Amino acid sequence: MNKKFPQRNDPARQSGQAVEPSRRSILKTAGILAGSSVLGFPAIVRAQAKSITVTCWGGSYEAAVRKSFAEPFTKETGIGVTLVNSADLPRMKVQVDSKNVSWDVFDSIGPQIMAGSEAGLWETIDTAIVDTSGLIQQTGPDHVGTYFYAGGIGFDPARHPEGKHPTNFAEFWDVKAFPGRRGLRSRISENLEMALLADGVDPNKLYPLDIERGFKALDRIKPAIQKWIETTPETVTLIGSKELDFTYTYLSRVLPAKAAGMSVAISLRQTLNSLEYLAVPKYGKKTKEAMQYVAFCLRPKQQAAFCEQVTFSPNAAKALELASEQAKANMPDMNDPNCVIINDAWWGKHYEQLQRRFTEWMLT
Amino acid sequence: MMHKLNTGTVVALLLPLCALMLVFFLWPLGLVGWTSIYDNGLTLDGYTRVATSSLIHKVMANTLEISVIATLTSLVLGYAIAMHLARMSPARRGPYLVMVMLPFWTSILVKSFAFTIVLGNAGIINQFLQWISGGSWHIEMLFNRAAVVVGMTNYLLPFMVLPIMASLLNQNRNLKFAAEIMGAGPLRIFTRITLPLSLPGVFAGVLMCLTLSLGMYITPALLGGRQDMMLANLVDFYTRQTLDWTLASAIAIVLLVFSCALILMLIRAQRNQEAAN
Repeated sequence: MNKKFPQRNDPARQSGQAVEPSRRSILKTAGILAGSSVLGFPAIVRAQAKSITVTCWGGSYEAAVRKSFAEPFTKETGIGVTLVNSADLPRMKVQVDSKNVSWDVFDSIGPQIMAGSEAGLWETIDTAIVDTSGLIQQTGPDHVGTYFYAGGIGFDPARHPEGKHPTNFAEFWDVKAFPGRRGLRSRISENLEMALLADGVDPNKLYPLDIERGFKALDRIKPAIQKWIETTPETVTLIGSKELDFTYTYLSRVLPAKAAGMSVAISLRQTLNSLEYLAVPKYGKKTKEAMQYVAFCLRPKQQAAFCEQVTFSPNAAKALELASEQAKANMPDMNDPNCVIINDAWWGKHYEQLQRRFTEWMLT
Repeated sequence: MMHKLNTGTVVALLLPLCALMLVFFLWPLGLVGWTSIYDNGLTLDGYTRVATSSLIHKVMANTLEISVIATLTSLVLGYAIAMHLARMSPARRGPYLVMVMLPFWTSILVKSFAFTIVLGNAGIINQFLQWISGGSWHIEMLFNRAAVVVGMTNYLLPFMVLPIMASLLNQNRNLKFAAEIMGAGPLRIFTRITLPLSLPGVFAGVLMCLTLSLGMYITPALLGGRQDMMLANLVDFYTRQTLDWTLASAIAIVLLVFSCALILMLIRAQRNQEAAN
């Protein structure tokens, strides 16, 4: 499970990022309910038609979504956007299964979107409304990619200055040249790509992944891995607490930690870039408005504005031209063949079976 | 001190709890059971996969092993603490009990993170070892099974200490005095009087700790190494990542049956013990 953003069992979330309804907001809601009961049922229906609900990840992510997608969208169309946090796939599935859908747009990472696609949760993207022609990465018919988030090798520059830390996956695998305590994630996706790249596979010919070769390469690094990390925050905190020297971590985690004063850095010389997606669930009451929102999020101008605020790269090709130099400095160079794009469609077909094999591999 | 209640009062007193359990426990549990056998038609697919998957078997063995070790560690430590507490005057016992209860009031997540600082490679214990040895001593204490057991024991201890202490405090002191007069030494008094009389507390403690540890999730994930996965982690994987709710429910039900069987065994052992006395 990708825990790039805080999730239910994610320490960051439990440590207080969760948005709890204040007493005032409850009173307000109660007031609205009381008022609408006086006005009668149609008032609720009218109010709902003008607003959609979009899932979100909280924190600075929520602020960026609000500023570059939600608010300008409302301004242009008059359709309100409510952002809900701590949304997860099982709850989305329950909504679709019971045909009582309250989230109109689902914003999530590859494995979740693909699993949802497999389970038939998503509506086909209406290409009459959503223009997908200008996207860097084209994906399946029932979801669209919004931006890339980069993963690479994290280290502490104070303990491991230039030349003392691995900068690419081959060097991460080279335990003799770069001695140190290592950490990788406890899931097969990304690990398999890293193993193959470390083993010398041409980044342009990575997919379909050579599973057997990948596991053989993983065998080599296995004894050097101190921790198979379960939660994303730990990919940074374990470096901060000097528990690990080199981890696989994310740019979007390293930069805020650095800004908060932690001695941590990430090598952008070789990165794995994953897409974040939007999907529209079936049986939604505002499917058309949801599609309009998805289309709006893919506009280069909106994408550029979003990537200025958070450390992601846009999926709309034209947005790159609009991004400032400062924002571009924090984006991996997507023209560099060493910056690999994760193929979520391939993983959609293989994830469950390979994760089971990987877990078994870890246990032995 | 027992008051007799008439049947009507008993029913009235138990009704709210029963209703609560029915709505918030039995009904969802029933749903889990139903999901484990229903996926667009009745199926035993989930259970077949549980029965045939070597991964699930390994994790099940792990779960049992870790739970038993953690429960036994808690028992040994908890018994010693409970005996110490039972000997104190009530006024002195207060502050010590607060210390026992402290882990109760701390989030298990925070505790797990705190153990990283204590047990870690750059942690307090290892830094101390390095300091007294001039840098040559170092013990790997984190991200392995020992760390999981330490973390779980820390969580379980109050559940073990409290019932044992209660049964120790209930013992009639005159029995010990009588034994002493008859010439029994401390060891004999412990093995022949204190221990047998405290067994109900021990059973209660073991029962709680075992059930709690069978469902542990965060501690093995944060403190364990690659071989310390437990069943709850698998349930989470199938529920949230692959949406395979049939299999997730089947694993959950198997875990439940597993725990129930253990509890029944313990209760039976306790009955035999009582009958033998």
